[in-house]
Amino acid sequence: MNINRRVLLGVLAVGATGVVPAFAQESKGLIVIITPSHDNPFFKAEADGADARARELGYETLVLVHDDDPNKQSELFDTAIAQGAKAIILDNAGADASVAPIQRAKDAGIPSFLIDREITQSGVAVSQIVSNNYQGAQLGAEEFVRLMGESGEYAELVGKESDTNAGIRSSGYHDIIDQYPDLRMVAQQTANWSQTEAYTVMESILQANPGIKGVISGNDTMAMGAYAALEAAGRTDVVVVGFDGSNDVRDSILAGGIKATVLQPAFAQAQMAVDQADAYLTNGSTGLEEKQLMDCALINADNAAQLETFALAS
Amino acid sequence: MTRILLACLAATALLGGCKIVQKLPEAVAQGDGAAAPADRVAQVVRDTYESQVLPEIAGKAVEIGTLRTAIAQGLEAAGATHGVQATGGGGWNFLARGEGTVVGGDRESRAAVLDVDVDADGTGDLQIQLGPVVKGTALRDASPFYEFTDFKDQIEFAGLARALNTRATEGLTLPEGDLAGRSVAFEGAFALRSATEAIQLVPTRLALEEAE
Repeated sequence: MNINRRVLLGVLAVGATGVVPAFAQESKGLIVIITPSHDNPFFKAEADGADARARELGYETLVLVHDDDPNKQSELFDTAIAQGAKAIILDNAGADASVAPIQRAKDAGIPSFLIDREITQSGVAVSQIVSNNYQGAQLGAEEFVRLMGESGEYAELVGKESDTNAGIRSSGYHDIIDQYPDLRMVAQQTANWSQTEAYTVMESILQANPGIKGVISGNDTMAMGAYAALEAAGRTDVVVVGFDGSNDVRDSILAGGIKATVLQPAFAQAQMAVDQADAYLTNGSTGLEEKQLMDCALINADNAAQLETFALAS
Repeated sequence: MTRILLACLAATALLGGCKIVQKLPEAVAQGDGAAAPADRVAQVVRDTYESQVLPEIAGKAVEIGTLRTAIAQGLEAAGATHGVQATGGGGWNFLARGEGTVVGGDRESRAAVLDVDVDADGTGDLQIQLGPVVKGTALRDASPFYEFTDFKDQIEFAGLARALNTRATEGLTLPEGDLAGRSVAFEGAFALRSATEAIQLVPTRLALEEAE
């Protein structure tokens, strides 16, 4: 049984991510960490943060990715249940679709601790530690409005429609911007969180709307794509604001390119989730409310130099 | 049995294509527009603003001078003594009251503000937000009876903050033009993430008096 289990873990881990799980001598058990694809450095920072903290606290870890596919996520939950995981750390693949597998794990005695994205029900997960995307988007929008001088034509790049955060950020932006009647949105298009797609979309928006003064983007990868297209067209005067706080956008801000972004504390958030899992497994309670909002922070030329891997040095 | 299960799981991982029938949750009725949550939020504000928010502020607001002194000595300690912090951490939210003199402001911006001097040195010490754009979530977050867990998602919870800000500022009636030199008495909420950040208060009460 022990041998089988080891082989299986190895196979699963290699098959899923290429990450080999750690085996501590006196292990406190297995924590399974499930996030979207590590292609986006944000999710990698999350997984790394949770993985490092769980090992520090004496757990074995299994790091998996669901690629934003609810069916795959459901399978990964079955894996975690079959492995007898002590806890699951999850950045989920859908606000509605994730409720059932989290409930299934709960029924099997495995508590889930959610990070980054929330689900539509309370009382299923033990913790939901959510980046305050709405607050962050409002910060980004306030800075955008200020940079735009409260007037002018602008475009919005929206994230992947199936991701709740795309809608939340867009709402947060408009909550602020729409209150300024002299700011006029001339284009609103999705670029599906993708840098290359944002480049193409930005090119066509610029052709149709040469008078554009600003672009507000649902995340940093799209902001990078949009700025590259603007730069290619000689339009570096256009104000671009992103969201996430990636090192790429930090470097662009420091070079005078993109003007601002909003930092989600991904690394710290993942570590908090593991700490709460440990508290729950040790004491039977986290001592905290289930849903917790973690504030985002505005990053601009004033503080960009202090940003590194989704954390601000203080 | 265990071996068969394990083998199947291993195959699942290797092939990545083994479909496990997923039990979907009961369809949760939720409009994708903002109408339903907005109605719910409007109801929450109607039910709580006068009966809970205003009494909370009346009972707990601290003199602005006391707060500024405490904050200058350290935000964490000041927050622990006088403030409220959300479960996820972040800024400290304070309920404040005080009096001061208008020394400037911006009535043109949609996010209109008055700069108010509260220590009689002739320079502004805090901004009172007049709306219609009111920034922040201090009014919501300084009120301990609103819990994020009780709301469906961030959009609904943010809608609550905005509805409270609107409720607080929509009734303000200030004369047009420059108010510099006028005295004001105020009560309201503000949030700080650092001790050096400017105070931007959402007023739940704002009264103008003649100067002198």
